[in-house]
Amino acid sequence: METVIEVKDLVKEYIIVKKESGLRGSIKSLLFPKKTKFNGVNGISFSIAPGEIVGYIGPNGAGKSTTIKMLTGILHPTSGSIKVCGISPQADRKAVVRKLGVVFGQRTQLYWDLRLGESFELLCRIYQIDQQAYDDNLAILTDVLKLQEFINTPVRQLSLGQRMRGDIAAAMLHSPSVLFLDEPTIGLDADAKHAIRNFIKEINRTRGVTVILTTHDLDDVEQLCSRIIVVNNGKLVEDGPIGSIIHKLTPHRLLVVELHEPADDLTTPHATVIKQEGLKIWYQFEKESISASELIAALSQKLPIQDISVKEPNVEDAIREVYKTTATR
Amino acid sequence: MLQAYWYITKMKLLVNLTYRFEVFTSVATNLILMLASVFLWQTAYKGGSGSVESLSLQDITTYTILSIIISTIFVCDVQNTIYYKIREGQIVTDFYRPIPLFACYLAEDIGEMLSSLLNRALPLVVFASIFFGIPWPASFGSFLLFLPSCLLSYAILWLLSALIGLIAFWVMELGNMGNVKDAIVRVLSGSIVPLWFFPESVQTVSKFLPFQYTYQTPLGIYIGNTSMSEALTSMAVQAVWIAVLYLILAAGWARTKKKTLIQGG
Repeated sequence: METVIEVKDLVKEYIIVKKESGLRGSIKSLLFPKKTKFNGVNGISFSIAPGEIVGYIGPNGAGKSTTIKMLTGILHPTSGSIKVCGISPQADRKAVVRKLGVVFGQRTQLYWDLRLGESFELLCRIYQIDQQAYDDNLAILTDVLKLQEFINTPVRQLSLGQRMRGDIAAAMLHSPSVLFLDEPTIGLDADAKHAIRNFIKEINRTRGVTVILTTHDLDDVEQLCSRIIVVNNGKLVEDGPIGSIIHKLTPHRLLVVELHEPADDLTTPHATVIKQEGLKIWYQFEKESISASELIAALSQKLPIQDISVKEPNVEDAIREVYKTTATR
Repeated sequence: MLQAYWYITKMKLLVNLTYRFEVFTSVATNLILMLASVFLWQTAYKGGSGSVESLSLQDITTYTILSIIISTIFVCDVQNTIYYKIREGQIVTDFYRPIPLFACYLAEDIGEMLSSLLNRALPLVVFASIFFGIPWPASFGSFLLFLPSCLLSYAILWLLSALIGLIAFWVMELGNMGNVKDAIVRVLSGSIVPLWFFPESVQTVSKFLPFQYTYQTPLGIYIGNTSMSEALTSMAVQAVWIAVLYLILAAGWARTKKKTLIQGG
């Protein structure tokens, strides 16, 4: 199988100096620092094929950003190997970053004092983009990301949503084949989020750009990613298509029943009552052992049912389930 | 690639030319400093033997004025640039561009240097001429040697600053390191008081340090206190220091890249 990104047994060890509180503590840790080692990333392996949109998710401090930084050549791994487009980012950072577009949602690569367009001009020179290609590319980006209204505004005066669109355009100017997005929708309003998601889908479809997305916004994941990689505590815990991960992690479904009068016996052999509020009852059942319609049929024979609804588990439930089961340290 | 550096320089130059208030305060502070120093020298010379170490009052006045003027041009922001970028984690955005970091910072400083030449050094030259007469060089030849020597001085100062910046990658909390270095440079470079006034022992030690080659060398050439051959020798020493500092920076940077610490995110 052809791969764009190949990561094998990646480990990144950090040395933490433990600071003690108080004056005595700070003097003590100045003279005799207590150093402890901990693995921010602890043996992660995966490979990504061209044209995939992969969600790289995990709770805060799981090692997501560390992995991205190693993939872009900013950090050096303690052990393990990385190949991006066949090149190791540690051996030849400059060659690798030419093929990458990177956006860190909480930082900007645009020049604060310059107008947005001037930052683009600078990038054009840094990446030595051919003038014709640059003009064409910028025209497309301006159109899709709607940059024309603020391309002549100094970056420091842009709103967060505008700045983010500017940053994404900046990352795409040199037509990279891989795009890293680290929390691209953080702090954005619904409209800006929508625009950015559309853009990601668009470049993936039209240019076949591989996208690696880290985010805490699971709507991003649900709408964009065909595959997710879940990390926690520096370890890879799940890797696969979104649907099958949900299926695997949350085999339960919920049936919510509302009665029009109280009933004595609520039990049924196929499902368990997990919650009850007045006339509303929540049943949990396994979709492997009984279908929703069978359960409804069974219940309607003994209960005075007024209303009924089935709840599908979503990504959020699945992810929470993963975090819960792997949060042991 | 050169185009990219030139664009950085140009943009920094243009942006800086729009900061008017900062320029005004900078010119004012340096003017006060200049007046105070010259008056101090005038008083010192009045009581004494007339000239110290063959330096006339006119020479020392020119030396002081020029010293303050070139200090406004020698912009070495690289240490602060790196320090703040590391503190805020912003340095990552410089890493994912296919261009060397230090070269970009140099391009920025050069842009700032060019803008300072126009809006700081030039007004100071005008004011100094009004108050004390035009600070002419000793001869046309010494002026011609002064210019390349200034460039070499700047290279030494910039490399020293870059080395301080490099330390920021390792310690996170640079604290006063930059200020300590700046203070050492100010005294040992002869920018305030030429080292010729210092005790013999200090002068001897100083010959083996890079500092006096940053201010005293070009200024000594300008006022004609150094002979032609002495000037060329000093410039050769400047070049050696540039080579040495550059090699240290390159070696340190190669090691640093492998162990970079990056804050947050």
